[in-house]
Amino acid sequence: MAQGVVGRFEEVRILVGTDIQPIDEVATSMLQFGERYTRRIFTDHEIECCGENPIAAATGLAARFAAKEAVLKILDSTSSVPPWTSIEVQREARGAPKIVLRFEAADLAHNQGIENISLSLSHGGGIACAVVVAQMAEVSPGALT
Amino acid sequence: MSDVGTTIREVLEAQGRLPVTALSLKDDDDLYENGLSSHASVNVMLALEDAFGIEFPDSLLRKATFESVASIREALETLGVSATSD
Repeated sequence: MAQGVVGRFEEVRILVGTDIQPIDEVATSMLQFGERYTRRIFTDHEIECCGENPIAAATGLAARFAAKEAVLKILDSTSSVPPWTSIEVQREARGAPKIVLRFEAADLAHNQGIENISLSLSHGGGIACAVVVAQMAEVSPGALT
Repeated sequence: MSDVGTTIREVLEAQGRLPVTALSLKDDDDLYENGLSSHASVNVMLALEDAFGIEFPDSLLRKATFESVASIREALETLGVSATSD
């Protein structure tokens, strides 16, 4: 018999979003438009995390752009589309990336009941990709024995 | 002096990475259905800013703004770009 179970999942809804981004397109945009491009889409933290090496920066920013687009796919943005900078990819101390939502993006997620978003980033063959999994759970309190 | 619609199509041709020629697009053709990606739309926006000497405010950084030549023209008009430009 299970021990220590304090709740029962009555409904668990999962939303999955994914996107890919060619790295060379980001590198070309960085060369052509410079900071006008990066500042329009990415936060200071994201730009800093990706470093100054042009190849590494383009790769990292391409993955982050894919992550933002993946998040937009799970948000109900029929009435308003939040700006890219309101969806941030942060690096935790151990290096795992996570999604932080602010402003309109946070409001949309809250209204949808999204409690947690997991993020996975990858790149290879000139392509960066991101997968996000959002969980919306309702737990009914009550001890089970 | 060039027509705004022509400049928009030239920018789409240069920055849109469309599988079709942007110069042949009709005003109401859906650009996303014709292959415009979200990332390419950023380049289109920045190139339009250069072409017309304007800056898109955050309120216009919407998918709907770049849905068609007509919607881009409407957005530009709200920023003071007239039907023709030098």
